Amino acid sequence: MTGWQVAKLDEIPRAGKRWIPIRKHFDGRAFGVNAWVAEAEGEDVIGEHIEEGTGHEELYLVVSGHATFTLDGEEVDAPTGTLVYLARTETKRKAVAREAGTTILSIGAKAGEAYEVQPWEVNAEMYPLYQAGDYEGAAALLRDAVQREPEPATYYNLACMEALAGHTEAAFEALTHAANEPRLREMAADDSDLESLKDDPRFTELLSPRS
Amino acid sequence: MNIVHVDELELIPVGDRGLQWRPVRSRFGISAFGTNAYTADVGDEIVEEHTEGTYQHEEMYVVLRGRATFTLDGEEVDAPAGTIVHLPDPGVRRSAVAAEPGTTVLAVGAKPGEAFQPSPWELGFRGAHMEPREAVAYVEEHMGEYPDAAATHYNLACFRALAGDPEGALGALERAAEMDSESVHKWGESDSDLDSIRDDPRFKELVG
Repeated sequence: MTGWQVAKLDEIPRAGKRWIPIRKHFDGRAFGVNAWVAEAEGEDVIGEHIEEGTGHEELYLVVSGHATFTLDGEEVDAPTGTLVYLARTETKRKAVAREAGTTILSIGAKAGEAYEVQPWEVNAEMYPLYQAGDYEGAAALLRDAVQREPEPATYYNLACMEALAGHTEAAFEALTHAANEPRLREMAADDSDLESLKDDPRFTELLSPRS
Repeated sequence: MNIVHVDELELIPVGDRGLQWRPVRSRFGISAFGTNAYTADVGDEIVEEHTEGTYQHEEMYVVLRGRATFTLDGEEVDAPAGTIVHLPDPGVRRSAVAAEPGTTVLAVGAKPGEAFQPSPWELGFRGAHMEPREAVAYVEEHMGEYPDAAATHYNLACFRALAGDPEGALGALERAAEMDSESVHKWGESDSDLDSIRDDPRFKELVG
């Protein structure tokens, strides 16, 4: 085991445009830690979510720029140096950048339990494959991930990779699991990764609002 | 609301090397991991020299503002704002000094493979900044939030001794020694906080 590691936040390889997977970079084992970046003003830094799946308490820290958090509908101004702590997993949370380059650190773990690496972090391995056009490789990774942890957001990414790889049936199968979440149905409606599915009547059916 | 700017956090001087502690975990009541901020001016200590031998925490330091010079097992590391230092090995001896005015560092820690428990040093650091009587009251009120550790009772013994309560101090010291007599020997040997009870035969029995 290496005794210590040092890295600058902006030198850690990003996964996708917004995500700096800090825990994964250092292979930390005691708590979850990531940073999220918005390239432009008005972009999401923290996408809207709850933590009921993970059961995590979360602490956010605006490390640069300026953000507006929305917590259960209430807006909070958050300049650099602001700490936001969310004990309740059901609080709906998001943050939007008010300046280009706004960066937010997030730390999370579940009280009363040993920390476990979260299955959604598989996306950090998926992004480079996706960006390189290796949709088969990306789909294989995510198929394995949903076997271990059937999370709707992972199914959503799997649907995208299957669609891009030309596996229409597998893509619909994955999308069925993702479409239970309103947020993912909305996302699917204008996601170009799912273009090849859009003329199929099943697509419209899956995306229609649920009662 | 659980929202605060890091500059609005309480500022508690610790030790005599300029270290200023800004409690984060206890401010919010975070129960899943330990986290605190520290502020210091040029040349002052911003991370107290220590290992994680006691709590076995994996630690991460994030330099939020200014610049720090870390010393990790004797090796100096320049850490401008935006630097992250990750310490998975609890045995690494770590410390840092601020290299720019108003340098601020966030520390995060927890023990891999175990549910997090707050570290009792939080009580000692906070109490050391209070009048002894106030510190006794504070520790008595808050010790239930911490695991029933020898260090908590040892701290209580120190503050009671300083507050002129020798019987209470010996009682707390006895409780600490029941849990970890080896550490109580080590801590108590030359701790001036306990001078007022050092000549008591019961002290000699507990500390040696």
